[in-house]
Amino acid sequence: MQKWVRGTLFDNIDQFANSLGYENAGIVMQLAMVPWNTPEDRDEFIFAITGDIPKGGGN
Amino acid sequence: MAENRGGMRPTASQNNPANVSATGGAGQSGTQAAQYIPGLPYGQGQETMQQQMSAPMAGATSPQIPTPSMNFNTLLSETDNPSEPITAGASVGPGPGREVLPKSLTGDARDAENVQIVAKYIPMLMEAAKIPDAPDSYKRFVNNLIEQLPQGQM
Repeated sequence: MQKWVRGTLFDNIDQFANSLGYENAGIVMQLAMVPWNTPEDRDEFIFAITGDIPKGGGN
Repeated sequence: MAENRGGMRPTASQNNPANVSATGGAGQSGTQAAQYIPGLPYGQGQETMQQQMSAPMAGATSPQIPTPSMNFNTLLSETDNPSEPITAGASVGPGPGREVLPKSLTGDARDAENVQIVAKYIPMLMEAAKIPDAPDSYKRFVNNLIEQLPQGQM
């Protein structure tokens, strides 16, 4: 059975969509496809551009 | 006894007109060497040589071609404008919003872009939403995208 894994494309989509806003689906998809080294790098980037902690993952 | 002074030897390297440096040589402290000009009226040859030696012409220099800087910033580089929030001009984050952008850049094409993305990725996104522990925040995003689809595109 498939499991939701942190750092995958879908997890990236979740984090970016809920941090940047659903109306920015274009940039959400593009940023989600960036090969982030770690989920922490990705989250640090989100924090840098939004000034807030990532809001995905059910947050 | 006859003195041997060598005399003019036509095959000597200094008499070969083709024996010149293609780059002009290292030069003489950045100046051109004085050169005797044959065929001038009597006395002017010496005068011309003295003029050349008293005021040497500047040697040829290679033109300095400016090379463009190749230091491109990356997405994660330090900002060049530390006093400006990196989100200045964006619709999210601190700093001024999109209203500060030039008019040519403010056309909001996000709705059209979203529809394209929805049409392209929605089957894959919906499949991932079926993963048992997919977060509700992800499902909400996918549902929002589905709502943006024009009728009959599902």
